[in-house]
Amino acid sequence: MRILVVDDETLAREFLAEQLAGIAGVELIGQAANGFEAVKLAEALAPDLMLLDVQMPKLSGFEVLELLGGRAPAVVFITAFDEFALRAFEVHAVDYLLKPVEPARLAGAVERAAERLKSRVPGPSAQALAATARPPGRTLERVLIREEGRVHVLPAERIDFVEAQDDYLCFVSGGRRQRKQQTMAEIEAQLDQSRFVRIHRSFLLNVERLARIEPYAKDSWLAILTDGSKLPVSRTGYSRLKELIG
Amino acid sequence: MHPIIAHRERLLLYLAVWLAFGALLAAVIAFGSESTFARAAVYAVPLALLLGLQSLSCWYLVKAMPPEETPIARFVSTWLGTGIVSLALWMAAALGWEWVLRTSIGTAFAGQDAARLTSLLLFAGVVGLLVAVLGHYMLAAFERSGRAERRALESLVFARESELRSLRGQLDPHFLFNSLNSVAALIGTDAQAARRMCFLMAGFFRKSLGLGGQQSIALAEEISLAETFLAIEEVRFGERLRKRFEVTDEALLLAVPPLVLQPLVENAVHHGVAHLVDGGEIIVRARHRDGRLEIAVENPCDPDRPASRGAGVGLANVRSRIETLFGNRGSVDVEAAPTTYRVSIVLPASTAAG
Repeated sequence: MRILVVDDETLAREFLAEQLAGIAGVELIGQAANGFEAVKLAEALAPDLMLLDVQMPKLSGFEVLELLGGRAPAVVFITAFDEFALRAFEVHAVDYLLKPVEPARLAGAVERAAERLKSRVPGPSAQALAATARPPGRTLERVLIREEGRVHVLPAERIDFVEAQDDYLCFVSGGRRQRKQQTMAEIEAQLDQSRFVRIHRSFLLNVERLARIEPYAKDSWLAILTDGSKLPVSRTGYSRLKELIG
Repeated sequence: MHPIIAHRERLLLYLAVWLAFGALLAAVIAFGSESTFARAAVYAVPLALLLGLQSLSCWYLVKAMPPEETPIARFVSTWLGTGIVSLALWMAAALGWEWVLRTSIGTAFAGQDAARLTSLLLFAGVVGLLVAVLGHYMLAAFERSGRAERRALESLVFARESELRSLRGQLDPHFLFNSLNSVAALIGTDAQAARRMCFLMAGFFRKSLGLGGQQSIALAEEISLAETFLAIEEVRFGERLRKRFEVTDEALLLAVPPLVLQPLVENAVHHGVAHLVDGGEIIVRARHRDGRLEIAVENPCDPDRPASRGAGVGLANVRSRIETLFGNRGSVDVEAAPTTYRVSIVLPASTAAG
């Protein structure tokens, strides 16, 4: 089995490497010291298994998994202590290891991963996992978008609105449009609902960008944003807006 | 315990008031009768003192019936009943006393007009009892507000202590497990370093526990704790974690409340340097200037990182402790620029008591 180790601490990576060397049938094919490197290496090397630290600079382990999408290998998460992450692992039946990592447990996790690979059990949805791991009352703080191999981090408060187009979403921020494969229902549930309102089947609006609302036709309105752009507002969207801003 | 009987000086003052009441009563009795003031006083002063002593017992009713919690009907009927009984007893004693004086000595002490005396006594008794009850209610109110103040003060002190206790108990689990992971890793590759790490951890935990019941410590101790902490984190983060201490010798001797620096240094690592791929340098500054101790902790941070709410706990704790301990003589300020984060503390400078 070909394994990729991802941890921002050199010592922690060396420790895993040392332990993996003692497990038969295992080959350590690479080490990544941060999330970006992990995404790059995972795509370049196509490992069977990724030992993935949850807390890392720039990108968390969950975000690495999200960016890899369907190309993600089997994953075993590693964390020192994070009660919410642990709960998410339990809820989604995801394998994980606790630091300090014990050799017997690592060997067990590798063995289970091999079985999962054989039976081709699909991995969990990275976004569902990240959503469960978020402490209660906390909403999505940034959206990760990949464009032509590059990763953009878009802080939630910088989003003007989100538009649904066919099977992807368009995140609009300061006139710039970035596309991401995701459903409207998903992103609506993850973002702060006191800030983002579904004003229309295809539009999710950051209410802080709203300048005014104008009637358009019977049972439909236009939302005029601070930058002048106009978005359609449906009847339910209108009542949602009213409820939020009064 | 009765608030008047329990204090000698209060009891004397109380009786003095009733003495004056007796004198006033004597003057009224003497006025327009054949009795002299001196004789009327011999009659009236003991009666006034009797009424005073009798009125002391109303304290227990005052305690039993706080005006804001007692139904009005019960309040009125109880006081009316008690008042009538007390008044009747006192009047009986007064008239009896008059009879005793008149029959034994034979001179008019309270004038010759029985009807006038009775109405005078009735009036004096009602006024005396009313004033006594009101006085006791006022006393109860004073006592209650004093107690509330004391309780507020006690709870403040208690809150401060429990905060400190919880700070000490708050040995960050992340820190503990990650450090243990480093030790486990080092044992395989560098046993000497693993051993050093164990000593550092022991030193850190011992120091932070030792800050126990202390009110204030020398800044030097707090700096030494921070140095140990950073030495442990350096093992884990390697070259990504760099540190610089700019602390004047003079400042080292000044007093600080325990654990005001440590939470800030922890934040600088966990919310600052740990989120940077290439790490960064943590700067701790302290100096003595214009009678004040100025401490600052500065760290680089990731501009893309959303505002972390986790950083708030340790900082809020430090802030509230500085506020309760020093009021407006101390301050905690935060400067959050996109790529640097700095917390500055100012305290009145005083040398550590040890």
